[in-house]
Amino acid sequence: MKAVGARLPRYDGIGHVTGRTQYVDDVRVGKTLWVKALRSPHHRARIVSLDVSKAEAVKGVHAVITHADVPKNVYGHLEGLGVPADEPLLAEDDVRYKGQPIVAVAAESEAAAYAAIEAIAVEFEELEPLFDMRKALDAEAPQIHQWGNVYPHYGPYNHRRVRKGDIDRAFDKADVVVQGVYRPQAIEQMPLETQVCLAVPEASGRLTIYSCTQAMYFSMGVVAAHLQVPLNKLKFVGGTVGGGFGGKVDTATDTICALLALKSRRPVKWRWTREEEMLASSTRAPWHIELQDAVTKDGWILGRRTLTLHDAGAYARFSPYGVTKHAFHHSGAYTIPNLRFDGFVVFTNRVPTTAMRGFGVTSVSFAVETHLNRVAEAIGIDPWELRLKNANRIGDTSGNGVVLKDPSTVPVTLAAAERVGVELPGSYRAMTSDPRTGELLPEHLVAQQKLNGEGAS
Amino acid sequence: MAKHRGRGFATIEYPTGMNQNGDPSQAWIKLKPDGRVDVFSGTVDIGQGSKTVHTQIVADTLGVPYDWVTMDNTNTDSSAVCTGTFASRGTFIGGNAVRLAAERVRERILDIASRELEVDASDLEITDGEVVAKGAPQKKIGVADVAGAATYNYGELISGSSTALKPFADVDDATGQVEIEPHSAISYAACVAEVEVDDETGEVVVLKMTQVYDVGRAINPTLVEGQIEGGAVMGLGLGLLESSYPYYPSAEHRGGQFGSYLGPAFTDLPELDNVIIENPSEDGPFGAKAIGEMANNAQPPAIANAIHDAVGVWITEMPATPDRVLAALAAKKEPRRNGKWVIHDEDISVAAVSSNNGEGFYGVEP
Repeated sequence: MKAVGARLPRYDGIGHVTGRTQYVDDVRVGKTLWVKALRSPHHRARIVSLDVSKAEAVKGVHAVITHADVPKNVYGHLEGLGVPADEPLLAEDDVRYKGQPIVAVAAESEAAAYAAIEAIAVEFEELEPLFDMRKALDAEAPQIHQWGNVYPHYGPYNHRRVRKGDIDRAFDKADVVVQGVYRPQAIEQMPLETQVCLAVPEASGRLTIYSCTQAMYFSMGVVAAHLQVPLNKLKFVGGTVGGGFGGKVDTATDTICALLALKSRRPVKWRWTREEEMLASSTRAPWHIELQDAVTKDGWILGRRTLTLHDAGAYARFSPYGVTKHAFHHSGAYTIPNLRFDGFVVFTNRVPTTAMRGFGVTSVSFAVETHLNRVAEAIGIDPWELRLKNANRIGDTSGNGVVLKDPSTVPVTLAAAERVGVELPGSYRAMTSDPRTGELLPEHLVAQQKLNGEGAS
Repeated sequence: MAKHRGRGFATIEYPTGMNQNGDPSQAWIKLKPDGRVDVFSGTVDIGQGSKTVHTQIVADTLGVPYDWVTMDNTNTDSSAVCTGTFASRGTFIGGNAVRLAAERVRERILDIASRELEVDASDLEITDGEVVAKGAPQKKIGVADVAGAATYNYGELISGSSTALKPFADVDDATGQVEIEPHSAISYAACVAEVEVDDETGEVVVLKMTQVYDVGRAINPTLVEGQIEGGAVMGLGLGLLESSYPYYPSAEHRGGQFGSYLGPAFTDLPELDNVIIENPSEDGPFGAKAIGEMANNAQPPAIANAIHDAVGVWITEMPATPDRVLAALAAKKEPRRNGKWVIHDEDISVAAVSSNNGEGFYGVEP
């Protein structure tokens, strides 16, 4: 029997539905200590003073760590991709979002750990926070990040750019220009398994880290960088996760557990409460997308101008990557030869946002697909026909200059129309992904086809 | 006051693999002395079923029964690098890693079988756990016997390893253009949503979603349907229900418990009609492309368009909560027309809200 294409049962399905799968929280190791964190109660504040001596004196407390205990406190998740580091593992001089960890403790019971957190003496000076991205570059906006309120490291630019074709000519030649604003929201990752880690110091001097990460080698790299140890000092155990969606790519618990295990020389476990998971863990980002489409009366999209603001929250994390991906896909499943795109990563005093299913593209799919129906309404064309006409064909060029080999805009759109009984004219029903010719190769697309021909020869 | 039905749709595309590439997955495979197969890969299964899919890929690449294959993705000591389970890369990149490793193992099996059968390796094939001479099916040896011979006669561990890696694609920061493809493949999908809108309460109910996905090749159609249906529910949450900041942009009044956060539940589940199209990718395992992340991208705009079809208002701030729908119905906003320009949503633009007309955002160099 061929396995590929077969409806085989899930490899791990029986274990999952009978409760026999072992998740991180199911791992039991003797003498495990409980971890709790002091988190910022403010959206933005200066830390005036911090004294953990009374916490260390609480009965049952084995270790208390602050930023001073972290060999490399500021490390960036995307340093390997050229995104500089901006986020401390534990806050140093200031806090920039409600829920930001400042101190972590390991104690013999959850009660003792909570008591230690209560015993920490900390004094804040509250500062004005920023929440509305649209006001981030106003003269009177509070400056909330050391790089300014927008991420400045896209090469020499403070925004991710796309410049393709002749955008001004496209807007001059257009019969109609349609403008709209789209604001996809932040949502929770909502895994049933909250962020959790168990770190066990081995007799060999190694650390075994039972992790709910979606990316064991990535998280191991992050922990090794903070601890400044080689990879052979660490062993990550994982591979089975109770819901990820993107939120468990951030290394939320592993590093702090590793440090507390080393300091206390005991196994430590940190299991976030549901409230911590929902208020202090990273969300999907809020976005603000302004689109202008230059179109002809008969339904050709000549050009698109886009302004995107992406709410990174307090630190960069994966946001610069997400906006680049957003830029690469902002023309959707269609061929638009003239583009001008400016995408900004904006810092606010929210919990840092992060990867979540569809990262960078969920937002722009909502904007583009809603906008196209407004375009169809403005010029009085059927929205199915508008999409099928401008749909990607083999040999078309995407917004970032990739010649498409195997697009499927046409077949999926036609299949959906047929399935729900939408009646399309015969010329539309007969459309395929084949390279453009005749009426499907209007003047404004000839230039890019020629370019592709030259590129291929 | 009445309930109105409407239908809307959206067509989307989504890349497979990390944007700009450079994201390796590695795997290695060994045979036990009875031919059973141990696969070591670091790909985390976050519930999507990558362990199952990888097992299927290895079984067919080797030509052995599915239940001979055991997956170990449990730790970083025995598994090599997998960049991670994100960017819709598990089936394609993780799958190519195990496929390429299995091809190496297959070569070793054929080499030893060739010696045992005295038939040239190029004239042998493996099916259902047996190495058979092409055109002479009586000449054959079980993979179990090949593995035994390797272990006890030839002193060899039959194993193979490989890396799936597409090189990093640089982007021109001035123009956003790339020289090489910055993804492994692109998948496409369309979603049709049928809704009912109550113009008295503002409540929107999704009655049915018809969804078409091109996944290149459905390695396991049941798991693909799992992604389509699970994604549909997440997309419904985005389109209608969920928000971390109910008074956005304010950061106050967040829901800290399941009971104070409106995620989709079974009661919200619409009728789902799933269609899988197979337009194979050039480089994916058995022609597969990704589905994981894109599965919650088409529903929010399909729902917004369906609401417009039902009651004639555009909901462009997500989610389409009853208060937003009622406010839109009350406002009955029309776009401003200025020459050939049709201008929607001016009041929520950067230009309107910023104190300097959004100069910092609009005024960048051309």
